[in-house]
Amino acid sequence: MIDRFRQGFLEEARELLSELETALLELDDRREDPEPIGRAFRALHTIKGSGAMFGFDNIAGFAHSLETVFDRLRKRELEATADLVRLALAAGDQIKTMLDAASGQGAPDETGCAGILEELRRLTGSGESGAAAAARPRPETAPAEAGAPVEWHVHFRPGPNVIVNGTNPLLLLREMRELGELQIQLDAGGIPPLAEMDPEKCYVAWDGVLKTTAGRDAIRDIFIFIEDDCELTIEPVAGNTPAASAAESKTAATAKAASAASSIRVSAEKLDQLVNLVGELVTVQARLTAVSTRRDDPDILAVSEEIARLTAELRENSMSMRMLPLRHTFERFRRLVHDLSADLHKQVELAIEGADTELDKTVIDQLSDPLVHLIRNSMDHGIETPAERAAAGKPPLATIRLAAMHSGAQVLIRVSDDGRGLNVAAIRARAIEQGLIDPAAALSESEVLALILAPGFSTARQVTDVSGRGVGMDVVRRSVEALRGSIEVQSKPGAGVTVTLRLPLTLAIIDGLLVRVGSTHFILPLANSRECVELTGEAVRQAHGNHLVNVRGETIPYIRLSEFFEMRTTAPEREQVMVVETEEGHYGLVVDEVLGNHQTVIKNLGRFYRDVPMVSGATILGNGTVALILDSDRLVQSAVHDISEKRRADHGKSRRKPGNQTSRKLTNPSQKKENRIHVT
Amino acid sequence: MSKVVLTVDDSASVRQMVAFTLSDAGYTVIEAVDGRDALEKLASPVSMVITDLNMPNLDGIGLIKEIRANPACKGLPVVMLTTESQESRKQEGKAAGATGWIVKPFTRQQMLAVVKRIIG
Repeated sequence: MIDRFRQGFLEEARELLSELETALLELDDRREDPEPIGRAFRALHTIKGSGAMFGFDNIAGFAHSLETVFDRLRKRELEATADLVRLALAAGDQIKTMLDAASGQGAPDETGCAGILEELRRLTGSGESGAAAAARPRPETAPAEAGAPVEWHVHFRPGPNVIVNGTNPLLLLREMRELGELQIQLDAGGIPPLAEMDPEKCYVAWDGVLKTTAGRDAIRDIFIFIEDDCELTIEPVAGNTPAASAAESKTAATAKAASAASSIRVSAEKLDQLVNLVGELVTVQARLTAVSTRRDDPDILAVSEEIARLTAELRENSMSMRMLPLRHTFERFRRLVHDLSADLHKQVELAIEGADTELDKTVIDQLSDPLVHLIRNSMDHGIETPAERAAAGKPPLATIRLAAMHSGAQVLIRVSDDGRGLNVAAIRARAIEQGLIDPAAALSESEVLALILAPGFSTARQVTDVSGRGVGMDVVRRSVEALRGSIEVQSKPGAGVTVTLRLPLTLAIIDGLLVRVGSTHFILPLANSRECVELTGEAVRQAHGNHLVNVRGETIPYIRLSEFFEMRTTAPEREQVMVVETEEGHYGLVVDEVLGNHQTVIKNLGRFYRDVPMVSGATILGNGTVALILDSDRLVQSAVHDISEKRRADHGKSRRKPGNQTSRKLTNPSQKKENRIHVT
Repeated sequence: MSKVVLTVDDSASVRQMVAFTLSDAGYTVIEAVDGRDALEKLASPVSMVITDLNMPNLDGIGLIKEIRANPACKGLPVVMLTTESQESRKQEGKAAGATGWIVKPFTRQQMLAVVKRIIG
């Protein structure tokens, strides 16, 4: 059991250390701010306090020395210098090493402690030895002293305010009784007349004789909390007589079943297993629904509906258990940026937005590496030195922005810098040099930018020197693809680069909408489906060949899936339009029939189909057939692209959306698309 | 009806230890992560509060003052957990109206003894 507490402490201490680190880095930016000092102090204080409690005296002692320093910072007796912050960071790392050693990873290495403490003493001029840890045991209550019982005369007059402050004097008397045989008398002489009496005040006193084997200190200890607020005398009674009664120890705790704490820690594997099982359950439930619909037996239908409802709830519950905010992952990068800016002699600030955005744990775990790559790239190549920035008329302090936001069933993570941007010409030259493209190839700017994600393009020293990127970008792309996500790179010369990672909220199960086109079924993610309207043949004829539908006064362009996928089907007289929200605005997707909500267990597509951009996966339907999961965003982008290509061929330069309509959201979509590339 | 103890600490492991020890002895334990959280949880009846001193948002001393200023919590026992053996901090807590204190590190028996002394 104690091991469980220790385990809990180790995990908590790690969290506290990252909190400490964050606070220190903030302190480094704003030396005068008392807020991060307070936070660092509390983190150290808790590490010390809990550490001593769970038997990690070495950690507690070390943390204590640091805490002392931060206490002095808090009281403004010391100043937070860069050296001190650096040393405190090193000390944080040292505690981490000690924690690792305590949890059995790595050898216990405490040689670092002495060095850090030595330097700390030098910096702060403090005489604190560090060994004066919190290990100061309280005097034992009621030590069973051997020997014959002794009689004590106890006089006790509580102060008038003890009751208001939460002390119940009767309980103290009861505790005395536990030490031995007690005869006690009330002295009510202090009670004033009723008119003058304050019912909240204590006016009485007690005199008693306690026959006990316990010593004077044990008796005094009972009154320790109100020692300063009461009259208390404990004197041995003259002519002590030994007695046979033994003090009963009632301190043994009754063994009861432990009631559950408000939260428990569960291993991630168990959660994964749970989600896998739920996935299987959802698939089976879909089959049950299919069977019951076919049988058309009201009894079975009722049961099947109930099961469908429960499965949906179970699924939602188990998925939410795996959701974690990105904060922890994001905050860790503060250290990276801090360390790198010192190494590279650049002034960089990391701005974090949307750190509360939640994402599946599996996704978060695999996200760290790609983000490190991107931030390193920005720091290393994107951001200029202060001198270069000044020459370009920019402030010397550069900013890397790390932002997360929801977009339907996806989460977008943006890493942007305000550095020099990508050098398109240099990338092109390098790609030709490496034989990735033909020297004569006419590539648009976005197509050139796409090259930096190409496998052969990685770690190209020349390009790094000239323009900036190339380090491990294909690694980033591979990791993101493994998460079923995609990357977009946008660049503005002189103004910086933005890399957008588009990640699915979860890797396992989503809410989908099952639709049918001809005899083929598709799933559309419910998260960005807005509504469903009818498209009559009449309306199509009235639109004079434009792919537009009027939804409550709003004109929405639509894409007919059967046309887009070149399926040879005959459309029914009444088609359905699914209105979806995409980055390009609202779009309609025309299908033959909308079959309804579908809990979708996402299955990966095989290697052969993996690179189809608008399909994000597949799922197995109740009848055993496979339905493709459409990525509405990409589908719309791709359709827009097709049409604009066609129009470019027809009318030269003009780029339009389907339906000849200018988007409400984007006044000039062509501009937005200029420097963007897609990798699926 | 078992007595309800509110443990206030920003360290989950300390809260866990308090909760485990006291619920084992038959008390009902509710948890709060800082002083502000504790004030909210005090809306329901509580027999005793065990609070840490150093916490974000509202620290232990502040919490004790708030409790003593609130007529609804009149006479509510409040015990502070403190690693600071410095007299000043303890005096500050006592002046604010703390009922007692437990010096960290403490054993489960020591804590139980204090709780029993104060609420029986």
